[in-house]
Amino acid sequence: MDLKKKKGVIMRIFHKKDGGVIQLIEKKKIMEWPIELPLIFVEFIRNSKLDTYGDPKVKKEIEQYLEEITKDVAIPRFIDVLEGENYEEIILALTRIEELSKKKSKIDMIKPIEKYLDNLFTSNNKEISRLANNISKSFASAERKKKLEKKRKIMKEKEEKFLAGNISAEDYAKARKEYLVLKD
Amino acid sequence: MSKQKSKKEYDFKAAKELFEEYLEKGKKKTEIILPKDTVKINDLNRKEAINRIHNLTDELIRMILTTGKPSIQLPSRTSSNIIWDKKNDLLLLGKQIMEKHFHSLTSVVDITRLIKVLEIVYNLLTEDIHTSKRDVFYNDVKLFGKQDASDKCIEDVATMLYTTRNSTRVIANPRGGCVGRLRIRDKNDIIDLETLGSGTWPISPYLDQIEVLESDAEFILVIEKNAVMMRLTEDRFWRKYPCILLTAQGVGNVATRMFLKRINKELNLPTFTLVDSDPYGHYIHSVYLRGSKRLSYETPFLATPNIKLLGVLTKDLDEYNIPKIARLPMKPLDVKRAKDMLKEDFVKNNKKWEQDIKLALKDKVKAEIQALSTHGFKFITEEYLPKKLSTGDWI
Repeated sequence: MDLKKKKGVIMRIFHKKDGGVIQLIEKKKIMEWPIELPLIFVEFIRNSKLDTYGDPKVKKEIEQYLEEITKDVAIPRFIDVLEGENYEEIILALTRIEELSKKKSKIDMIKPIEKYLDNLFTSNNKEISRLANNISKSFASAERKKKLEKKRKIMKEKEEKFLAGNISAEDYAKARKEYLVLKD
Repeated sequence: MSKQKSKKEYDFKAAKELFEEYLEKGKKKTEIILPKDTVKINDLNRKEAINRIHNLTDELIRMILTTGKPSIQLPSRTSSNIIWDKKNDLLLLGKQIMEKHFHSLTSVVDITRLIKVLEIVYNLLTEDIHTSKRDVFYNDVKLFGKQDASDKCIEDVATMLYTTRNSTRVIANPRGGCVGRLRIRDKNDIIDLETLGSGTWPISPYLDQIEVLESDAEFILVIEKNAVMMRLTEDRFWRKYPCILLTAQGVGNVATRMFLKRINKELNLPTFTLVDSDPYGHYIHSVYLRGSKRLSYETPFLATPNIKLLGVLTKDLDEYNIPKIARLPMKPLDVKRAKDMLKEDFVKNNKKWEQDIKLALKDKVKAEIQALSTHGFKFITEEYLPKKLSTGDWI
């Protein structure tokens, strides 16, 4: 991968093993875009192009670059808007975040925004407050699903150990109870 | 050559080598330094263009208040002021200045039209909108009389502001099309030029809203004729050979040339033209290569100086056994055009190009790109283009 940092460089270049080349717009240029576009671009490349590149090494490098764009450009720009006072911009940004928060594969991407929602729950603008609450619910739900997944793994291990006689019925029952409480 | 399908596999070695060379050069890319005796033109954003108009009008007011005889100075666009920059291989505008006086009977109509166009441009910029040359004419038909007059004023306004026509927000009608391994942003939409069905993306004249996002192309092919473009599109030529195809249906208009320049420069891609084997085809290539004389003031924004003439060359007619019946005799106008081309310094300095035009004049023949179809409709995509791009047979 060529990381051309000098002024005026427009594209970031990735070289494939077969001699092919993939060029993606340089991160600096994306900084000038409308707020919702960087994430749309990242999603577009990830969903429509990444699998067509073939070379696994290049795919990994591009995946890293996309994460870099998300972390360094897309999210900070959202935060700037959320901390501002322009209601129209805030609603536009929150609407986009809400859409992403409903997708399991995307929710981690927008996680850094969570702490900036606190001030918006009680906003005078009802739409802002509604969107902020919806996003927060999505974060909570995703968090609970993650915990449940983790617990399910532990439960499966305990079951195997219990059936093999490696743990007592009491320990098994305790773990089972914790799991069921979380599931409810 | 037979009409049977070719079984040959081409490696595009020559084109790939050129791409590697360009990528390497791109790392050390430096801005083109224009000769001192030529005019420097800038591509301006909205605010900068408005500022230039303010400065110009301030100067006019100053003249009115001090001398009472205002005038406008702008670089002359006559042929004597067009300079071929040998180093950068570009046609540029020299520093000869012409002056238009408000109080002269000979230039009063001219200056009234010019100021009218300046006013239109100012309104377009302040309202942040674009318009076409035709709309400018209809803005005051009585004043302009014919569209030629308003078109000339549009170019004069761009020249006197030392900027490109696109920066004045007067745009050309869309005529070009593009398809292939390229993803762009058009305002807030992402457009994938590989997924356009059987069509092409009409090259937008709103180039200030276009941005290159992603590409895995390895070369660009500019095609003179839409019919040939359709043939290549139907074969999905870019799928087998990673490329971007582009056509302007004849001589490249401003939007097409500017867009080509942009993708060539930003992606460092080798770029080739495929034109008819006749003097007009050579002329079309020359306009992409070093600009037109009429728009020489904005050549640095329109010309693609590293573009190669891939074909159809006169020598190809024998090398690819194009039957005599598919060749056409040159008309007197073709002969004149070919002779005029031979007088151009940029042809004289390119021996392969000069030889090919001389060969056409000797044989007095020409041929359309479609003459290649005498070997079958897929000959162009499966044999001619792959072979030429693999062997480096271009000018």
